[in-house]
Amino acid sequence: METQTPDIGREVFATLKYIIDPEIGVNIVDLGLVYKVSLEGDQLNVELTLTTPGCPMSNTIIMASEQILHKRFPSLDVKVELVWSPVWTPDMISEEGLRQLEKN
Amino acid sequence: MSTATLSNSPGKWVVLPHYAFAALAFVALSMLLLFSTDAFGGHYFHPKLLTLTHVAVLGWGTMVIFGALYQLLPVVLEGRLYSERLALLTFGLLGAGTILLAFSFWYFQVGGLMHAAACLLFTSFLLFNVNVIQTARKAPKWTIEADFIVSSAIWLLVTGLVGLLMALNFTIPFLPEEHVHYLQLHAHVGMVGWFLLLIIGVGAKLIPMFLLAHPKESRKLHWAYNLINGGLVLFIFDHLFFNSGLLLLYVSLIGGGTALFLLYLDDARSARQRQSTDLGMKQTFVALGLLALPLALLFLITSRLELPQALLSSVYLVYGVSVFLGFISALILGQTFKTLPFIVWMHAYENHVGRFKTPLPKDLYSEQLLRWQNVFYLLGLALLLTGVLLKAQVLILSGAIGFTLASLLYTANVFQLLLHKAQNLQPFTYGNANA
Repeated sequence: METQTPDIGREVFATLKYIIDPEIGVNIVDLGLVYKVSLEGDQLNVELTLTTPGCPMSNTIIMASEQILHKRFPSLDVKVELVWSPVWTPDMISEEGLRQLEKN
Repeated sequence: MSTATLSNSPGKWVVLPHYAFAALAFVALSMLLLFSTDAFGGHYFHPKLLTLTHVAVLGWGTMVIFGALYQLLPVVLEGRLYSERLALLTFGLLGAGTILLAFSFWYFQVGGLMHAAACLLFTSFLLFNVNVIQTARKAPKWTIEADFIVSSAIWLLVTGLVGLLMALNFTIPFLPEEHVHYLQLHAHVGMVGWFLLLIIGVGAKLIPMFLLAHPKESRKLHWAYNLINGGLVLFIFDHLFFNSGLLLLYVSLIGGGTALFLLYLDDARSARQRQSTDLGMKQTFVALGLLALPLALLFLITSRLELPQALLSSVYLVYGVSVFLGFISALILGQTFKTLPFIVWMHAYENHVGRFKTPLPKDLYSEQLLRWQNVFYLLGLALLLTGVLLKAQVLILSGAIGFTLASLLYTANVFQLLLHKAQNLQPFTYGNANA
């Protein structure tokens, strides 16, 4: 998980915590799916991945992330990109994510 | 805003009708079982048993697998389904073929009606193969799971071809051996080639995914693939041309392959990050456990023990019941509630996530109904298996009642999902955002 703009980065991660992976029931930040957040001028770039390639959720999670970030930062142009490197592994789940997993 | 990549999922009208048909077929199967308690007293070549078997394997098992596979193929093969139109055509042909075949078996009309049903089914399987193979050809990365799925589709076509030839042979006898000889071939190519390989191919991808485990090596799966296909091919040639009596060897190869798949899943279970198990996964593990019964019976049947003929014919029937109403049905009952809620959720809420508070897929069906469905199913199966083994009609009837209750609860839950619509969504009021 990387952010080039600490101020806005924290807010982006906090906002993306509202996006829950529907199958797992844990938010995409604590699942470790959000790899990178950066701001270039008015453009907010987010790189995220999925738990498995070919996941049918790709469109849903990207669209949801874009919608929620666009609403939270209406003055910015939001670009969410799906990346596959590095490959996601369950080791990337945060401690909070593991706690949520135990509850679900 | 960028739209990034598009989902490969097919439209909901390609997938959901399969689940609706399969649920109704499961109810029909259970009802027919209620009126077939007298059919379990003798040989398995009985009109009512043939009807039950084909409603189970085609209307229930194959139908739900087709539907789920159209959703899952893009996940496993990482590409779009080749043709949604072909998928719909396949659905129509499979549905019509199943109804006609069930009717012709129940009333044992072996003429034109059965020929038409067999042709419809064979055409359905052929078009299904075109769709699967064309989808697989465009897969960016070939995996062992793809091998399993494509091979299973080809075995389904072989099963359908043997079935078609047998249907024709009823009225225009041309096959050199008696009918039961080919029935054994037809049944085992279907059970091992179609159902077992397909279940392994999809299960090897989905079950670790649901458990949040990423098994790093797939050697066990490669060996499972080679052993099961090797055992099946050897069995077919031996059965058709040699009758060498090496059945136990072929059963051992298939059993060994299946055991390797179970070991692969056990590796995934050990490495899983997700410790809690929902009802759908519990039922899936029950199904995998139930797989031990038909495998053990297969060893018993082929090991040439001198069992009394009456007991042996009961064991044959128990074997069939344990495959179709045991392993396969248990798996469908569990996996339906791992796949269908997610599919329905995706179509209902895809455009609302990130703007409104949305429920989770598990909130779209009744867990209570699912719990009771599993209880009645297991009770029904235990009674049915015991009743068939002991030739006790009261126990068979009790088992059929258990199945009927399970099928009604299953269908109620499935239709609750299918009819679900997003409504009264509340917008997010998160943090200090200007929501």
